[in-house]
Amino acid sequence: MRGQMTHLDTDVLAEFRAGLITGRRGARITAHLGGCERCTALDGQLAGVRSLLASVPAPTLPDSVAQRLDTVLAAEVAQRNAAGRAAARGEAAPTDQAERAGGDGTRESSAPRRPGGNRGFRLLALRVLAPAAAVVVLAAGGYGLTRINLGSSTGSAASSTAGGAARTGPSAAAGAESAGHVHAPAAGPSKAAAVPRGIARAGFSLVTGQRNLTRANLAQQVRAELLVPPSARRTQTPPQRLSGCVTKLADGHTLELVESVRFEGRPATLVVARTGAEDTAWIAAPDCSATYRHVLATVTLPSGISGP
Amino acid sequence: MPDEGAPADHELLRRHVAGDADAFGELFRRHRDRLWAVALRTVCDPDEAADALQDAMVSAFRRAADFRGESAVTTWLHRIVVNASLDRLRRRAARPAVSTGDEQAFEALVAQDGDPARTSDTKLDVDAALRLLPPQQRAALVLVDMLGFSVADTAAILDTSPGTVKSRCARARARLLPHLAHLQGNRSTGQSVSPAQGGDTA
Repeated sequence: MRGQMTHLDTDVLAEFRAGLITGRRGARITAHLGGCERCTALDGQLAGVRSLLASVPAPTLPDSVAQRLDTVLAAEVAQRNAAGRAAARGEAAPTDQAERAGGDGTRESSAPRRPGGNRGFRLLALRVLAPAAAVVVLAAGGYGLTRINLGSSTGSAASSTAGGAARTGPSAAAGAESAGHVHAPAAGPSKAAAVPRGIARAGFSLVTGQRNLTRANLAQQVRAELLVPPSARRTQTPPQRLSGCVTKLADGHTLELVESVRFEGRPATLVVARTGAEDTAWIAAPDCSATYRHVLATVTLPSGISGP
Repeated sequence: MPDEGAPADHELLRRHVAGDADAFGELFRRHRDRLWAVALRTVCDPDEAADALQDAMVSAFRRAADFRGESAVTTWLHRIVVNASLDRLRRRAARPAVSTGDEQAFEALVAQDGDPARTSDTKLDVDAALRLLPPQQRAALVLVDMLGFSVADTAAILDTSPGTVKSRCARARARLLPHLAHLQGNRSTGQSVSPAQGGDTA
């Protein structure tokens, strides 16, 4: 047959070049290529396809997607930490009473994607409710809240907003799917019963203050800030970076106060959260974010001093 | 790649499993550009790719303890991203607007996306042509030919044999050839070659 071989099929040639055809058949192909211009040209084109594909630059991760991933990851970390603390305390679930009242209390389940389960993305301490959801949308770079939901659904391109249906979860992403963490159901706006003290129902409004805090006696100064009545505070929507920073710092705890301040004369943000038996206050630097925990000072306060 | 002195991938994963709140973020950020490329090239849609990458990230975060160290951490991460991407495609397949890989769909895509002023000819045509491929072939081709993974690593990522990877890549290259040959500067020859023909027509 040598020398009488018909022209090579593209698939055959591709398989040959991929190393799938060896032995006598491979030798015949090699011999044929040595004497056939047409098949040699085809061979060159196949090599050209590989070169062409290799020359295409890798796409760059868009900033919006990067920010969205950061936000989701920060929430995952907060969720895990909260779950860990709840487990350490022997509690049933890292949820507040309002959420328990509204949901089924599921914490870990063997059914990670229960249709209609409406498991939402929870910025734990931020109590993701309608006004706060707008913040999340901003933080996620334009994706609706449903785009960063981690709960279950059937994966439609839903565009509902706060408290709406969850988008698809991390489904069968892992090769060997096993039961994973399942988020406790998100509280819907109508389930908002427990309002964290010191924080507007928006969950995460940034109090715009002008106080200059100092490292010395910081606890006393924070205490004074916590005692300012809400009616005397001016608030605004927090910038995107700050949302991530606060999520990271609060780490699943109930927020007491987020206030723009000055610290030792320089711009900073005061973040106070109820961390169990005490409150913790952080002075976050302006560049603190979901991925960069830049804290200038931390102080703990006995719980209860920030009462209404 | 991590900076010199930075913790290795497996160390970051170990720390994450041990409760370190920052370790997974550092690990994922280290690789996410490349993981994005895998997701985008596999699903051929930025929104779907973003969803797939997010799914994969969350899945990896939660299932890190399942990592047994039988492969590199990067291989494990890529496998999760590919699976998430293919999972997205499977769901999308239930919807009618998906290219099923036929010639008509290809022509429609070219007609729709073929504005050469928007980007380079090469990229545009490669993107459009990639959609012609069945997802499994596309995933293999993207990993080997576009992202430079070895056949062995690709087999590990796709959880299949090296032979299957070679076969998928070969078929994918053959299928793309008539649509991409013109980009190699020999348009007339390339367009005349049919991957389905037996080849003895000269």
